[in-house]
Amino acid sequence: MHLEASGKMTIVHQPVVAAPNKSAEVIDPVYRQIRDLVYKTSGIYKAEEKLYLLADGCGRRMKQLAARTPREYWDRLNAAPFGDAELRELLNEITIGETCLFRSQAQLDALRKVILPEIVAEKSKQITRRLRIWSAGCSTGEESYTLAMNMLEESESLLKGWTVEILATDLNDRSVETAKAGIYGDYALRNTTDYYKRKYFSILDEKKLEVRPEVKKLIRFSRLNLQDDSKTLFMKGMDLIFCCNVLIYFDAASKTKVVNNFFTNLNFGGYFFLGTSESLMKLNAQFHLVHFPGTIAYWKPSLSSGKL
Amino acid sequence: MTTSIDAKIRERVQQIETMPAIPAVFLPLLKLLSKSAEDVKVDEVVRLVSYDNTIAGQCLRLAGSPLFGLAQAPKSIKGAVITLGLRRVETILLTCCLGQAFPAKKWALDPAVFWRHSLGCAMVCRKFSEKLSAADSEQAYMAGLLHDLGFMVNCLAFPKEFATAMETGRQQEIPLGEAEQATMGFTHCETGRALAEKWKLADDIIEVIAHHHSVEQSQKVRPLVALVHLSDLLCRMRGLGYGYYERHKVDLIADPAWSVLLKDHRDLEGLDLARFTFELDEAVEEIEILVATVFGSAPARA
Repeated sequence: MHLEASGKMTIVHQPVVAAPNKSAEVIDPVYRQIRDLVYKTSGIYKAEEKLYLLADGCGRRMKQLAARTPREYWDRLNAAPFGDAELRELLNEITIGETCLFRSQAQLDALRKVILPEIVAEKSKQITRRLRIWSAGCSTGEESYTLAMNMLEESESLLKGWTVEILATDLNDRSVETAKAGIYGDYALRNTTDYYKRKYFSILDEKKLEVRPEVKKLIRFSRLNLQDDSKTLFMKGMDLIFCCNVLIYFDAASKTKVVNNFFTNLNFGGYFFLGTSESLMKLNAQFHLVHFPGTIAYWKPSLSSGKL
Repeated sequence: MTTSIDAKIRERVQQIETMPAIPAVFLPLLKLLSKSAEDVKVDEVVRLVSYDNTIAGQCLRLAGSPLFGLAQAPKSIKGAVITLGLRRVETILLTCCLGQAFPAKKWALDPAVFWRHSLGCAMVCRKFSEKLSAADSEQAYMAGLLHDLGFMVNCLAFPKEFATAMETGRQQEIPLGEAEQATMGFTHCETGRALAEKWKLADDIIEVIAHHHSVEQSQKVRPLVALVHLSDLLCRMRGLGYGYYERHKVDLIADPAWSVLLKDHRDLEGLDLARFTFELDEAVEEIEILVATVFGSAPARA
């Protein structure tokens, strides 16, 4: 705020500094530039109060590159021809912590409280009571098992008499093998409550739990390249697609293509979920961005909604 | 609404003992808020703040809060006004005025939850209108702050009925306005309007209070009513709701209010709604701190 001679004042927008416990160090404004660059290329947005996470990620990369200041790191990110590669490394750093079971309770609440009842009502007119879910870019299986357990929780009520199929795919063979094994340690299970641990896991050793067979049974893991149109076209008739922190690594053209394929793969009335701070920007205008408490999703309007 | 319900509301609103009058600084303050920032003099604001000890104290407390990270809290009102910035002081003033009009006691709706939603909506309204070049963001702010005035009226004039509505909303996880309609037969829109008329608030604000859940029925300032309606929905989806989970899908772009707003503000088409949503999350913390400073403790998030 500046006071002028006349005694009038003009207001200069004063940004809020991160959480009180984090506000000891003031965030270098360069991180806001990096935040915008990350958003523009990946759709991931780190809100002001989470800028310190971005700063932490940058810090680790700066150490690797022996960059001394955030400004120097910014220059690296923008330098041809290695800037793109460095941005991928940074995206890796800032999304790595999101790999765990029960990553987003808000997504699961939306799924069970709003979306499933809606889809069940919509599809109950059909003969086959089948729910198809695709975990696209499933990595080491955390999201797929979380979905499977939540579907099992509904199997005696909302989904009674329904068949649930979860297709989980990843480009990386090793990830797919790890996913199939379904063995997780404390870190991956940090958001998993005792209720779920007791019900759906068996103890492997002191440090590891293994997903039980009845959960594994719901999921089909396989290797798949999302950019391989001839393969992805077969993933038809999906009610839900989850694709968390995968598209962020694609260039604009591939991203558009993959998202358009997802739209085609979804049934009318189906939903597409991204990671918690990830968005589609304006990649596909046919999807409706919809809000649920604490989370957003993309909806392919149902034929009966008249909103196509 | 039938005339008998309308008459009942008016009668009860007249009878509320705890609603003696609006604090003296309230109306001058509204006038101040309607001016553009460049036309407001610091001394004028300092004078308004100093008028009321409670308000002055709260301003000083907020100026010294961790939000502003000052090594030393300002000691004078003028210092506080300069530290906080004009618009923030106005927010605090308006909040304190309303807080005094409605003394905190055991309400069906936790006052801190109510204020968090109102302040949240005010802030979202302002940020939203800043994205639309021709919109008046200060008016939007005030409309957002006052849109749910009827909930306070309900707490005071219909305490039992409203407690039932609140409980129904919480149990069935439905929007509070729907629960009111189902259990009481009228909503905060009608009761809020009755008080706003008694207080002689500006017509535009009365319109927002009466129609923020029925944009299509609004006769005037429809874009403003639509903007408040959409901001209210966004707030409730981003942790600034009524304190409980709403089993609710919100499709803003398919909402009739979106088309209403788009008619007057073509630049709405270019809005990146996802990014706007994430940006709003940044404001949540500021609001928590504001509520905590004014009310002593922050309510649980929902």
